[in-house]
Amino acid sequence: MRGMRYWAAFGLAAGLAVGLVGCGGSSGANNTNTPTGGNTAQQASGATQTAPSGKAIKVGLVSDVAGIDDKSFNQSAAEGVRRAAKELGVQQQIVVSQRPEDYVNNLSNLAQAGYDLVIAVGFNMEDAAKQVAQQYPKTDFLIIDSSVGDISNLAAATFKAEQAGYLVGALAGLVEKDKALPNMNDQNVVGVVGGQEIPPVDDYIAGFQQGIQKTDPGAKVLVRYAGKFDDPTTGNQLGELEISQGADILFPVAGNTGNGAIQAAQSHRLYAIGVDSDQSYVAPGTVITSALKRVDVAVYDTVKAVQQGNFKGGVQTFDLTNDGVGMAPVMQGIPQKDVDQVNQLKQQIISGQIHISTTVQE
Amino acid sequence: MDLATIFLSPTLWAMTLSLGTPIALAALGGTFSERSGVVNIAMEGIMLTAAFFAVFFSSLTGNAWLGLLLAVACGLGMGLLMAWAAVHLRADQIVIGTAVNMIAAGLTAYLLHIFFGQGSPSNTPQLPVVTIPGLAQLPFVGDVIGHQNVMVYITIGLFILAHYVLFHTVFGLRLRSAGENPQATESAGLSVYRLRYLGVLIGAFLSALGGAYLSIGVLNSFTQNMTSGRGYIALAAMIFGKWTPWGAFGAAMLFGWASALGYMFQGTSVPYQLVLILPYVLTVVALVGLVGRSRPPAADGIPYVHAR
Repeated sequence: MRGMRYWAAFGLAAGLAVGLVGCGGSSGANNTNTPTGGNTAQQASGATQTAPSGKAIKVGLVSDVAGIDDKSFNQSAAEGVRRAAKELGVQQQIVVSQRPEDYVNNLSNLAQAGYDLVIAVGFNMEDAAKQVAQQYPKTDFLIIDSSVGDISNLAAATFKAEQAGYLVGALAGLVEKDKALPNMNDQNVVGVVGGQEIPPVDDYIAGFQQGIQKTDPGAKVLVRYAGKFDDPTTGNQLGELEISQGADILFPVAGNTGNGAIQAAQSHRLYAIGVDSDQSYVAPGTVITSALKRVDVAVYDTVKAVQQGNFKGGVQTFDLTNDGVGMAPVMQGIPQKDVDQVNQLKQQIISGQIHISTTVQE
Repeated sequence: MDLATIFLSPTLWAMTLSLGTPIALAALGGTFSERSGVVNIAMEGIMLTAAFFAVFFSSLTGNAWLGLLLAVACGLGMGLLMAWAAVHLRADQIVIGTAVNMIAAGLTAYLLHIFFGQGSPSNTPQLPVVTIPGLAQLPFVGDVIGHQNVMVYITIGLFILAHYVLFHTVFGLRLRSAGENPQATESAGLSVYRLRYLGVLIGAFLSALGGAYLSIGVLNSFTQNMTSGRGYIALAAMIFGKWTPWGAFGAAMLFGWASALGYMFQGTSVPYQLVLILPYVLTVVALVGLVGRSRPPAADGIPYVHAR
């Protein structure tokens, strides 16, 4: 009988290995294949036959712990890879990380498996990407939201998110000042819910503060951090807290955590601003616009560069001038004059008349 | 905001209740399981599973209560698997718990992707927020407990029930005996296996409620890993609460309070990061015995073999 318990543990472990589809483990890239990764990979190999362009290179993407359904930058990165698979006929593999400890493993598994380009999504993977890129000098790497410039096979896509933050901040200020939408209060307060106090988050927030300052100098901007990106419950509580302090527009910059804040705004029939990708579909009638960071563009462009043999390591900047950042179309009900004014500000940023700092004001 | 305003603000205490509730439910679940003699570190996995299926069935049936019911059924399924491995097969309970947590993380991420590629539907029905007439009108108290999600009230009711069952009924005595001295339990003619199955299943039921509260109580959506470690914090709350219902409740609320306080302190001169670590410091303090020794049930984690 004593042997039974070891068999049970073994059985569960085996069940676990089978059950781990979609989960980033350490036992090899094949186990960590997400279903869509698999499905679209098949489509992609179909596309290989028809796509006239390009070598059949292999592209792997490792998401951070928020997963590729985060309605935010991981999802955007995955879309970039899928588009590349469809249009450029490359083979793709998407790996979702379950824990930060998996980053190094997931990246090196793909490099080990002979992928030509390995993409690490997110600032929090910076150290892992640096380490693995140095271990596999023949593989090209791309890290999103980082500015590592000194490794020749590692490209770092950096986004001037403060510009996107500035635009949505300016719009929020205009809407707030005129109380342009139903249910808004007289308190002139907006709320920000940040994920962590890290540069890619703070760039948005700093820009947002300055944008509001420009169009509604009397507005108060509450800023709170959840400390994590995968916890919508906390995001919801922070949203509720800021709403109770008078905020009627929320700007969450916190991945999945932020989706909880959008829900808080929705349940009070107030407003929110999406982040990274156009999040209007998350809560129609609540999300007035989104600050865009075109991670998909950065990913797609890099895949293309690798395919054509033009890959360059070092920092690649994406900003308003190359449509690497921007503002999504606005919700119905936002006055056109406000949109026009934001567009004027955008031109002033592009021409260099407005300079935006990346420091969050206390 | 100065400190006095923060401590006296009903928002802080309402948030404490709301953040403490899921932890409290899972900690109570762990308490039942461990009192029966089965170490339970699978609260996180069971919560996550239930959180997913609550949204899944709530949006499928269009009824949040049906969603809750079916989510609890899925949590019980997970508990049954665990009880079978722990009690019948006498597998290492830590390994089983870890396996359940990992299966849940992978399975829910996979199912989320299969069924809701674009994320769970935004019109998923949610458990209602209830206003208690009379209570809600009271100053301060009304703002704290007069207007909460229905699960918060259910939780308080369950704790009263749990304390009564565990310490004032024959069943409670038998359950505890299985965790303290299973040989004695069996010589009294009782089935240790049956009691331990019940302990694990009650535990799974409560953890599942905690998970469903997150996804269709506070929110109406599921996202990957959305329990975000609350099952593990519940483990700490169970230990800090010395394996008693009210101890677990108090510990869970203390953890909720520390989080709420940390969020309220942001934007003041107090370093909120320090406040956020408070619960963990207190857990360590409890474990090393500075606030009274925290002692698990004597036979906790030891698989029981029938005397023949």
